[in-house]
Amino acid sequence: MVFVFLVFSLLGRVAYQDTLSLAQVEVFAPPLDRFAQGQKIVSFEKSELQAYSARSLGDFLQEKSPVFVRQYGAGMLASPSFRGTSAGHTAIFWNGIPLNSISLGQSDLSILPVQAIDQAEIHFGSSGALFGNEAIGGSVHLGTQTQFGRGFKAHLSQTIGSFGLKNTSISAGFSGKSFSTQTKLYRQFARNDFPFRDLSKPGMPELRAENAQTEQLGWVQDLAWSISGKSQLKASVWWNYAEREIQPVMGSATRDVQLDQNWRMVLDYFRFGSAAVWNVKAGWVSDQLTFNSSKNQTRQFLLASEWDYQKFEKWTIKFGARGTFAKGDLSTYSATDQRIELYQSAKWEVTDRLSLAANLRQLSFPGRVEPFLPGVGMDFLIWEKGKHQFLLKTSAGKGFKVPTLNDRFWSPGGNPELLPEKSQNTEIGLEWDRMGDFSWEQSLTYYRMQVQNWIIWIPQGSIWSPQNIREVRNQGIEYQGKGRWSAGSWNWEIKGSYTFSQALDLTSDNQNPQQLPYTPKHQANGNLQAERNEFSVSLSTFYVGQRLVGTGNSRVLEGFQLWNAGISFSQLRWKKLRFPLSFQVLNLLNRDYQVLYLRAMPGQSYQLNLSILL
Amino acid sequence: MNNLCKNSSWVFALTLFLVACEIGGDEQPLGKYDTGILLMNEGAFGSNDGEVFHFDPASGTVIKNIFELENQRPFAGLLEDLVLEEDRLYLVANTGKVEIVNPGDFKSLGAVISGLDQPRSLATAKGKLFISDYGPYDANYATPDSYVAVVGGLDGGAVKKKIEVSNKPEDLYAFGKYVFVAGSEEGKIEILDAETEKVVKVLEVSGSPVQFFEQRGDLWVYSVEDKKVYFYALNRENLTIKTSREFAVPEATGRIALGEDDRIYLLTSSGWPEYKDGITVLSLFDSTFIPNWKTGSGFYGLGYDKGRKEIYVANAKGFQGNGEVSVYRKDGSLVKTLEVGRGPSGFLVR
Repeated sequence: MVFVFLVFSLLGRVAYQDTLSLAQVEVFAPPLDRFAQGQKIVSFEKSELQAYSARSLGDFLQEKSPVFVRQYGAGMLASPSFRGTSAGHTAIFWNGIPLNSISLGQSDLSILPVQAIDQAEIHFGSSGALFGNEAIGGSVHLGTQTQFGRGFKAHLSQTIGSFGLKNTSISAGFSGKSFSTQTKLYRQFARNDFPFRDLSKPGMPELRAENAQTEQLGWVQDLAWSISGKSQLKASVWWNYAEREIQPVMGSATRDVQLDQNWRMVLDYFRFGSAAVWNVKAGWVSDQLTFNSSKNQTRQFLLASEWDYQKFEKWTIKFGARGTFAKGDLSTYSATDQRIELYQSAKWEVTDRLSLAANLRQLSFPGRVEPFLPGVGMDFLIWEKGKHQFLLKTSAGKGFKVPTLNDRFWSPGGNPELLPEKSQNTEIGLEWDRMGDFSWEQSLTYYRMQVQNWIIWIPQGSIWSPQNIREVRNQGIEYQGKGRWSAGSWNWEIKGSYTFSQALDLTSDNQNPQQLPYTPKHQANGNLQAERNEFSVSLSTFYVGQRLVGTGNSRVLEGFQLWNAGISFSQLRWKKLRFPLSFQVLNLLNRDYQVLYLRAMPGQSYQLNLSILL
Repeated sequence: MNNLCKNSSWVFALTLFLVACEIGGDEQPLGKYDTGILLMNEGAFGSNDGEVFHFDPASGTVIKNIFELENQRPFAGLLEDLVLEEDRLYLVANTGKVEIVNPGDFKSLGAVISGLDQPRSLATAKGKLFISDYGPYDANYATPDSYVAVVGGLDGGAVKKKIEVSNKPEDLYAFGKYVFVAGSEEGKIEILDAETEKVVKVLEVSGSPVQFFEQRGDLWVYSVEDKKVYFYALNRENLTIKTSREFAVPEATGRIALGEDDRIYLLTSSGWPEYKDGITVLSLFDSTFIPNWKTGSGFYGLGYDKGRKEIYVANAKGFQGNGEVSVYRKDGSLVKTLEVGRGPSGFLVR
């Protein structure tokens, strides 16, 4: 601990000496891709997030990204699977602090409403060196965004929809030259009594979903100060409360209820120099989960500092340190955990066309030190002519996951002897961009990954206990494309992605390994949008291929393809007020489908949104 | 949370073994599932993917998911027990239903789809169904409201009455107008009158009674404790305990299989954290006592094919996906292994 603070103070001094007076007009946020050469990052535009503001991050990622989301029903537990890995192999960050529960080692995407965030980026592949614990399959980076000098802004939004959907949000903000505040409040409610065919009953009657009502309340507060142009202070708070009935699997009549209350707070201090930025970050995350009457609470506090320095013209380096202190009071045990991490990054822009990055991290947690988590990457502009450019990206890295508190301490069954899960990832990708009237961005990535010591809970007699038993070999191809053009007064945009993901379980049968359960080999999505004079129409689709329900030659769940359509009009105005209006039809063709076996999902539904903007 | 629920399903769960059903040559022709072995796959908690597989030992053919195959809909439950009575096969799902099929072709005849909580087993008496049910969990995952549900007809329908019994009733056995209930948590054998639908007698036994069976003309109940197992012979006429035997078999689960030579095969499990499973062989009528006739891990069900004199051992393989069944000769040598469904837990030898 002492060492961590020494590093902090040392970095602080160096940074201060390099500080020059440079006015920052933007609220600063370190870019995600600064040292991620050769790695795949997908950034979403604000308009894409806005279209999902009445929905969850789980829906958004499932429909708009190559990530497979295991959904246990509408509004129920939704967990991400990147490149054939498990939910616990995805690190999730909000304004730079990790959100995954320290007891479960994962996040429920259904209680991360898109409404609460302003930006989202996803990073693919193992990158323990850059992002730390749990970034094995990939990582999700969420954030809020504030700006200076925008005056007063307010936003009231009301969405109504099928199956008792009623979402309300209010946000208001003021920003001057050196101060910015933004407050957001939201309530999302769904009765969720959608009709479905109950396959468990003779005659498979159409019934309405029972015990599936959800309600979420939230508050997001952002503050930013620019201090004499040389420093910035940023603070954000996010409170989310979710009360959900847990939709039973078909054939069961359980009436479980789950309450989640999450507090997240982050405070950032940035000091800007001519070529350096020094950051001190403090974060606090408190998660309370009550399942029926079983209460589980975890809290974590983190303190981090990093120093990012551009030496000469071509070298950029970063040093950082982070200490995390966690405490869990679960229904069957109490435990604490501490983690200390040091990390270093270097980027060398060899020429205008070639840049290289190397990242390294050291991580320690009680009883164990992981001294060497490396990652290297390269971006190479192969060819550039006229409107076209071809970029080659390649990288290799390791990933790492500390066993969760439940893995180690759950009583009975917890296994304190568990080893960390580890992964190695290599990838190579090609990007082809075209500028001009008809512009496009296309990328094709091939990855290979091996995950060892994968933790699985298995029964030991009547007690379930976690073991480091699974070994998985993943490889796949990811294509993403986007094109934009104009025809007359219409602006068109088309987007598409396809993912082939092979995730072979070497554990049960090394000679003839099978695809992991609930890991589709094929997944695709597409979106076509046309816009004219603030009127837009869109049609989108996504496809999820066959999934095995269990290991071995087990039951196969057929693939499904869903279509969504929407129209929006944002031209309605009265004085200074604007009234954007949008209407969406989800599951347009009323397809009967299940993401997970016997978990009913809603058919065709409608959402109507009216906003008032000032 | 899931683990709490997962824990509950296995220790006292029953394997089912019924005497081969003989059908005379002048009766209706045998259906395709009237011979061979029905493999019961419990399924995984939260997935409701229980199913029945059919295995023909003569040809070695396995037919998967026969409920779904013959009815074009999934079983959609955790399969706890298979009961063949009154020319009907009852598939008891501990997720809250009973499906009733024709044993020959597995076509649905009816069901009990409401009014049940966690059914465990079933018996028929006086044209009615008696279904043992743990009842709902309370806040501490205890089951203080266990019952035996009564359904008016053999082809299912509504639950018309719930007869309160001691906690966690397991196996049932019907004889004439009496239904014997193995009350596992409180060590009671409760005897119901199928006509009045009331408990008429309660017998106290040691351990946790879990399974009824017949041997040499007597009705026995098998009861397990930490270090011992008990067998009680019951007098079906005057509803008393006739005799009892006890054996020093530690860590026995509720699962047994009966050989054609009066041998009884018992499944044992040391549980977490050492976790060693085993099979002990004993006899109530001679000195046979073979601890650890087989040892391994993941054993979840036992069966015995009296015709072929082969022992079936189910391995749930951690419930991660398909399980495995190993078939042994009486001398312990392996005949073959089969890939079966999730959580194989018992066998019905036809």
